[in-house]
Amino acid sequence: MSEPVTRRKILTDYRIRVARCELCGKTYFPPKWFCNVEGRRSRMSFRDYFYSKGFLYSGTIIRRPTNRFEYLGSYLAGIVCLEDGPRIPGRITDFVPPEDEVNMSEFIGRGVVPRFRKTYEDGPQGLIYYSSLNFSFLEDYYPYQPYATIKLSERSDKIGIVGYGVYLPKFRIKNKSPEEAQGVQERTVPFADEDTTTFAVEAGKRALIHAALDGRYIKKCFVGSESTPYAVKPTMATVIQALALGEPYEDGFVSGGVDTQFACKAASDLLIDAAALVAFPAFNGGCVMVIGSDNSQAARDDPLDFTVGAGAAAFIFGDRDVIATLDHYVSYTSDTPDFYRREGSKYPRHGGRFTGKPAYFKHVVTAMKLVMKEAGLTPKDFSYVVLHSPNARYPFQAALEAGFQPDQVNPTLFVRWIGNLYSGSSLTALAGILDVAEPGDRILMASYGSGAGSDAYIFTVTKAIEEKRSRTIPVKAQIESPYRQYVDYHTYRRWKEMG
Amino acid sequence: MKEIKAKAKPCAAIVGAGRTKFGEHWYESPERLLMIAGEAALESVDHGLRRSDIEACYFGSFLYQVTNKLGLVPGYMARELGVNIPMTNTEAACASGSSALFNACIGIMSGKYDVVLVGGFEKMSDRFSKIVDNLMFAGDPHEFDAGFTFSGLYAAMMARYIHDYGRGDQRCLEALAQVACKNHHHAMGNDYAQFRREITVEDVFKSPLIADPIRLLHCSPISDGAVALIIVNPEVARRYTDTPIYILASQQATDDVSLFTRESLTGIKATRLAVSKALEQAKISLKDVQIAEVHDCFTIEEILFLEDAGFFGRGEGWRGVHESFESFKGSKHIPYVGDFGELIVNPGGGLKADGHPVGATGLRQVWECFVQLRGEAGNHQVSLDKPLNLALCHNIGGTGGIATVHILARSLGEGS
Repeated sequence: MSEPVTRRKILTDYRIRVARCELCGKTYFPPKWFCNVEGRRSRMSFRDYFYSKGFLYSGTIIRRPTNRFEYLGSYLAGIVCLEDGPRIPGRITDFVPPEDEVNMSEFIGRGVVPRFRKTYEDGPQGLIYYSSLNFSFLEDYYPYQPYATIKLSERSDKIGIVGYGVYLPKFRIKNKSPEEAQGVQERTVPFADEDTTTFAVEAGKRALIHAALDGRYIKKCFVGSESTPYAVKPTMATVIQALALGEPYEDGFVSGGVDTQFACKAASDLLIDAAALVAFPAFNGGCVMVIGSDNSQAARDDPLDFTVGAGAAAFIFGDRDVIATLDHYVSYTSDTPDFYRREGSKYPRHGGRFTGKPAYFKHVVTAMKLVMKEAGLTPKDFSYVVLHSPNARYPFQAALEAGFQPDQVNPTLFVRWIGNLYSGSSLTALAGILDVAEPGDRILMASYGSGAGSDAYIFTVTKAIEEKRSRTIPVKAQIESPYRQYVDYHTYRRWKEMG
Repeated sequence: MKEIKAKAKPCAAIVGAGRTKFGEHWYESPERLLMIAGEAALESVDHGLRRSDIEACYFGSFLYQVTNKLGLVPGYMARELGVNIPMTNTEAACASGSSALFNACIGIMSGKYDVVLVGGFEKMSDRFSKIVDNLMFAGDPHEFDAGFTFSGLYAAMMARYIHDYGRGDQRCLEALAQVACKNHHHAMGNDYAQFRREITVEDVFKSPLIADPIRLLHCSPISDGAVALIIVNPEVARRYTDTPIYILASQQATDDVSLFTRESLTGIKATRLAVSKALEQAKISLKDVQIAEVHDCFTIEEILFLEDAGFFGRGEGWRGVHESFESFKGSKHIPYVGDFGELIVNPGGGLKADGHPVGATGLRQVWECFVQLRGEAGNHQVSLDKPLNLALCHNIGGTGGIATVHILARSLGEGS
């Protein structure tokens, strides 16, 4: 597709835009202004079905795909009936059909939920196309979450997290030797049509649902990653368009943002900036979304190849209905070349054991100590310590080195089951702890980014967390989902390379 | 038995018809295929026809622009024929050929022309993956982006049909295979057919999966070929032949290009409308139709036609097919049997076995009826108790975005 055609399709396909005649109620996808029933241009209202659900009206298993979809092998292409009428074509994702003939009647009528996924790309040099005309089965890994906004409380001087969302792919790979993978037992694996952008959108969608916040309030969106599919073209613009962040104006949105890069702390670095923006008077009470998203990269058979995962975490910062206040912050940085990837290189290189003591431990422990010193707190004052988790051993040792006890860090080591999410690592662990934290709990979070630096934050959980809790899909629930599906090493590599 | 006579006034007459063999013509260009068919059509006119008699040309083709990087068909054909007469090319996906004929009939009926040449062609043999992509031009871009292939769209129709009307009944699946077996059987005597070999229901069930539940042998093939017809004002037809074939009805109807926006996946509205209008124009009833050329791009479509036209009730088509196939004892054409009597569908093998060079197909159907009604079909000539006089051609484009129906007669009744 050309760039202009792509732009036109984005407006329809990212949020499943449907037109509805206000006179007769007839719905149209693709949307249009001429009502076939009225026989003339009519008064049309436009509704997005981004948060909707539907059922499979009919479908087929495509065994001989068009060139653009060859990367998927066989898959289910269907016609989906959305909840109040319109039918749209949609591909079922996260589903690998059996080789033998499928009785399609077993699938017709099954509930489905839209997912923001890659459709195809114009080769390695061309555009990548995304849409929400992809669906996963309702009775499967992703439960349907209704989206409704709540009336916001008055602005307060307490600034912090107002909502969060974590997206972990359905597929997993088990490590044959978790001991060699430094405690990582299994890891998340992206499906063939997933990448950093799709993770970011899904995590952001969940954060909006959790916060019950209208996307119009979000005026800034930061996406931190070291695996963005484009070297030049912002992921955050896709997120803004797909999630409708900011006040709509013509066919764009009054909001901004940027993609950031600082190895695994590309996103965590922005939490203080998000909070600072919220406090800035001219920001007029807006909210900020920060997303850490990575399809964590590793060369075949590199030690990293047995620890990397995939997924994203999104946090919304604001000053209304805050579930955890951001109380203190310190960043610590030095030019330490422990891990890097040159422009044009596919995989990062690293300094082996040098990434440990002189890099990770030095920066993380220093940042933790400095932020506690600034806050006048000691490890005893915290319920949890959440650290960047390249594996299960490093954060555990760093926590102990900073004076924490094992029971303060052990519950945060989700890395054992999801792997290293790079930019999403510390944020996902923070989300996993917020899933279970009680009002009054104090949390110390310290990220790490090679190159190198660490951001340390202190959060205090508020009572508002309880009201919002029912709208999360907890990290633990995603880890333990009975629908998670294991793949072999070959499939893991193949799908990962596609992202 | 007495011949069935039509009372309608014909809109045009066919006095000559020619075609190429359908199949893989690796060494022929699209315009060369059309010229082979055109030369054959000119030579088939019994009393002769000069090139200068042709006042206009109507062509039908679908993918020539993307498959062969050609444009401006009139310019190409003006060069090939050495004429400077009005020409037009019609694109209506798989119904391009019949749509060209539809337009030609309008040209004749308007009084503007007395003699026109109608040609349909397609050159599809190429890299397989290229044609799979190109065929999706007959669908909606959103269907393409949802991962559908053209066969996948028909598979979604077939899946829903089985789900609604034949779920759990093996006979329904057998009927969907029997359509292919019947059409292969019919092609055995057709010298022009792409496939001249018998297949069994078991063969269909064992053939490779393309888009569940569609298997390879449920599908018409990728083909190259061309067909040309000489169409004239009925009043001058006898100048050219003693046995013109009259076009009693030429009708067309359209519907949404996108399968997902249609009222139903288990019926083609455009077929229903076009058949109904054609019967009315021809002043005949369904029972009068003796042979039908039906658009069996996938076997489900032949069954949908039987229901859409009204030969069988909704959801009953597969039963009619199954019972007809199972009770057949003869050796030549396998008729569908029902309240309407007997109907021979796709006597030359249909799209399934004769081949499906998209833009040529609609005219190949008319070519088939032309030779059948004149008794010139040779080894695959239909013979019935009654003299053969009335035939119907049904050609659809895409997944039902357009349907064209023509009704042909050998002899006219009083009042025609």
